[in-house]
Amino acid sequence: MKMSKSVYKVRPNDYWRIGEHENWFEEMAVKGLYLKKLGKMFATFEKGEPKQMKYRIDISIDRKIPDNQLEMYAESGWEYVTRDKFFYVFSSPVELNAPELHTDSAEQSFTIKKLNQKLMRNAIFTVMATMLIIGMLTAIWFLDGTPIYVLIEGWAIQQTILAAFIGYTAYTSLRATVSIRALRKNLMEGKPINRHATWNKRDRLRSTFVVVFTIVIGLSAVFPIVQLVKMKTETLPEENGNLPIVRLADIERNPDLIREEAEYMNDGVDWANRYSTNWGPFAPVQYDTDEIGIVSGKEWSDGSGQYSPSVHTKVYQLTIPAMADRLITDLVKWHWFDENKEDYVEMNHPNLDRLIVYEDAEMKKVFAAKGKGVIFVRYHGNANVQSIVDEIERKIMLISGSKNLSEKESN
Amino acid sequence: MTYSGGPMTEAMYYVLLALVNPNHGYQLMHSISEVSNERIKMGPGTLYGVLSRMEKDGLISLAEVDGRRKTYEITQEGKVALRTEYNRLKSQIADGKMIEEGENENE
Repeated sequence: MKMSKSVYKVRPNDYWRIGEHENWFEEMAVKGLYLKKLGKMFATFEKGEPKQMKYRIDISIDRKIPDNQLEMYAESGWEYVTRDKFFYVFSSPVELNAPELHTDSAEQSFTIKKLNQKLMRNAIFTVMATMLIIGMLTAIWFLDGTPIYVLIEGWAIQQTILAAFIGYTAYTSLRATVSIRALRKNLMEGKPINRHATWNKRDRLRSTFVVVFTIVIGLSAVFPIVQLVKMKTETLPEENGNLPIVRLADIERNPDLIREEAEYMNDGVDWANRYSTNWGPFAPVQYDTDEIGIVSGKEWSDGSGQYSPSVHTKVYQLTIPAMADRLITDLVKWHWFDENKEDYVEMNHPNLDRLIVYEDAEMKKVFAAKGKGVIFVRYHGNANVQSIVDEIERKIMLISGSKNLSEKESN
Repeated sequence: MTYSGGPMTEAMYYVLLALVNPNHGYQLMHSISEVSNERIKMGPGTLYGVLSRMEKDGLISLAEVDGRRKTYEITQEGKVALRTEYNRLKSQIADGKMIEEGENENE
């Protein structure tokens, strides 16, 4: 059996509240738990014999408290226990009757002066950083008025959680500055630190919340990693396989349609005929594709050259099907280029939850949702909208979740 | 805060007074009690703060360093400051004489 046992406790989040901390450590010592280490979120206590102890926190802005200061304190009966940055904890058994560390409040206020300045600079910096980050994130989320689209794509989720944390840090830093400033003012006026202050339930709740919050941030760090793992771009195979992607050949239905020699190859991928996969916590399956072909001997009707139909698609399998409706609305907004809004026509379809169609000569856009599946197709060519809708109807079954085919989406 | 000749804090005054004889840490705390006739019991935190500040201001200086132990002594500048403060306090007392006289009249 081990001689001493360590006990971990969530520590009060407000590190600057000196009296409350001293009180807490004293209460713990009476229960036989001696402070050993003070971390950012947890305090470590060691089990021992219950004892009346005095704890005092002293502030030193130096990187390391000077040896002769420690020596002077030890000579007076105060042993150094641990520190949290600028806050040094000393203890002394009550029976030793050691003199108070500080017997002159006005003098003590000088020890806080530099800390006060440091906290002030910190607070100004973090608040400015937070405002900057909030500004940038607001632009990402709302500039195009498509927050659900941004959420589903999942680029900004982790940054936003991180920003919330930075925002909370700025808030804490502001509170610390205000409190330390007030403490300094009180000391200058001869009012000593309140050693009867205690933690209330709300303080404890907040400290626990900070721990949970930090865990969430830690977990959210996997988002970009998963995204990196899941994100890949490959040349679209000529044959479709099991991909839930609307293919150009299926829209055109012309045996003479062929793919041209790749014009732009990068990393072995033909970027004109490619599909990219992505991942997000709200849409774990995502595809983004481009495809273009030519039909030899056929011209565009306006005589602008060889007929070369193309298709761009987006495919999402959502975690929460209820988001499909809003995603469609945002996708319409995202892919809207100053066309007449009335030309985006809401249709009824027996097999689709939502269907919006746009058609202007060769340009066709179709937005469709069914269950968990959402598909957007932008097609430029002579085929009619109905053939696109038919293809979407066929492919959306693979991801809608209504017919257990979702596992087959990868080849 | 740099010392610019204004009124001293009580802690500063007694530390200077005690450092007329070079001294260090714990013993210095004792001699402060002594020179104040046990009226002042200075804590080590206050003492350390006063020492490091007055050293910076040139009122005291290091006389000897023995490991972690630093022995301080008053400087010439410190002696002048102490003398000035003493005179200031003396005139303060003199100016307050009327309090005692007032008390006598009431008796």
